[in-house]
Amino acid sequence: MNLWYCGVMKGKSTNMSFCFERESPALKQILLKLYHAEKPVQTDHHLYEFGSVEYYVQSSAADPHHSFLSVLTPLLSHWEIPSNGPLSPYTIQMVKDICSESAEVVEPAREGYHLTLKLNFSMIPKSKESEKVVRRIASVQAVIISSQLKEIFRGVDSHGTFQPIKLVYYPREPFYLIRQPQKITAVFPMRFKEHSDVVIATAFFQELMDVGSSAKWAKTPTCTWAPIPPPELRGESIEDLSTNGGFVSFDICSRHVEGKKLEKTVWTLLNFYAFVKNHIKCTRGLIQRRMQKRLESLVEVLHRGAVEEDNRVKRRRGGRYIRKLVSLSKFKTLKRRCSDIVNKIKRFHYRIKIHGFNRFRRRWLTLPKFSSSRGYSRLE
Amino acid sequence: MASSLRLYLTCIRNTLEAAMCLQNFPCQEVERHNKPEVELKTSSELLLNPVLICRNEAERCLIETSINSLRLSLKVKQADELENILTKKFLRFLSIRAEAFQVLRRKPIQGYDISFLVTNYNCEEMQKQKLIDFIVQFMEDIDKEISDLKMSVNTRGRLVATEFLKQFL
Repeated sequence: MNLWYCGVMKGKSTNMSFCFERESPALKQILLKLYHAEKPVQTDHHLYEFGSVEYYVQSSAADPHHSFLSVLTPLLSHWEIPSNGPLSPYTIQMVKDICSESAEVVEPAREGYHLTLKLNFSMIPKSKESEKVVRRIASVQAVIISSQLKEIFRGVDSHGTFQPIKLVYYPREPFYLIRQPQKITAVFPMRFKEHSDVVIATAFFQELMDVGSSAKWAKTPTCTWAPIPPPELRGESIEDLSTNGGFVSFDICSRHVEGKKLEKTVWTLLNFYAFVKNHIKCTRGLIQRRMQKRLESLVEVLHRGAVEEDNRVKRRRGGRYIRKLVSLSKFKTLKRRCSDIVNKIKRFHYRIKIHGFNRFRRRWLTLPKFSSSRGYSRLE
Repeated sequence: MASSLRLYLTCIRNTLEAAMCLQNFPCQEVERHNKPEVELKTSSELLLNPVLICRNEAERCLIETSINSLRLSLKVKQADELENILTKKFLRFLSIRAEAFQVLRRKPIQGYDISFLVTNYNCEEMQKQKLIDFIVQFMEDIDKEISDLKMSVNTRGRLVATEFLKQFL
């Protein structure tokens, strides 16, 4: 599922918005390209998402008004699969509802796919609404998946219990639905790779329980977290029940799935894993940013001491240097520099002995002696 | 600041002031080597008795001194699992950036969370008093930072939980 998260946290003021997009961005892009194409386009696209969802978009130049979209998606559960195909009539109806006139369901579906839609782009109105229609078509996989869960929740009021249903939305992260009198309990076994993630997630679950138990949030499903699985899950495979993050349960009653709330509740439950993982990721980012900030302030304290020490030394040295410059005249400075060069040449001479070099040095490397303007030169 | 923390920090400050009388001292074992004696521990006559200052069972500070170097190791309090991972994360973050501090040891000594190694060269480069100020402030900041981080993580968790529950309404 496509997950977009924007979170801003500055001091006390917060502005958080979570948006779990239903449509596939790649599929939406292709469909929009086809919709906006001025000339008939030959398209043959195979798209894969999360390794198991497959889309096949096909359109030919010969039939510019029609394109075909086929979808193959792993089903949420193999509970109550109809005999005539992988998708129930309820799911097919849900797909028809979102696509309205612009798409029709082709039966039977293309071989190897669960669903094939025949898209008619000429039926999509040329207005701002067009993008919304394309987005709805691109979210067909989410519709298929959520319709399965909706079917289960439709019978929430019925009496009696059934065996826990194992649902797999994210690979290797199954969750369970347990029907109890007047409610259905969704149980999420939580697993994390790192110990730090477990700790952050546990803190979050505690907060979730605290917030959920307050009077303000009494209308929301009751949330409970426990380190051990609920007794209803006894008999499930040990691999699925061995967790390091415990078990989070939501009690869904009829008031949580009535009318438009059904859509929201189903989508929220389907994305619970993604929500928690996203929270952990963002919390780690927050910790990292704060540590970086603190590191800078700590280093600054240490360097302030070092800079002060440097300045103290420079001030001391600087004063001595100025005093020296004042005391020396230009002539003396020049003389000193010359004597330095001569000394260097002498040192060079002493270190390496070359036969006949002494005579050469006296003849060619002797520097002329400087004489002051007031002095006298000796006549020879 | 809590009075017990003030006393603890004052005690460490005074001990550091007394212990940080470091001088250049070449190695007695290897010619033309100049190593921190507190790390090598080759000559017992160059080492002073280590001082252990404890605030409580969870918080303590070990000061080991030698003629040319001083090693200070800290154990930071970790009240719960969250504080534990935050402390580990933060101190690891600092340790892998030890070059920025000059006096921070890359690996803490066993039983402690973080260690500093101050040599006579560090004392020459930086003012001794500033160095002590830095160490004391570091200790104060670590405690404060861990508490702030914990509060931030919990506050964020609460906000995210609220946002999550809003979706059911």
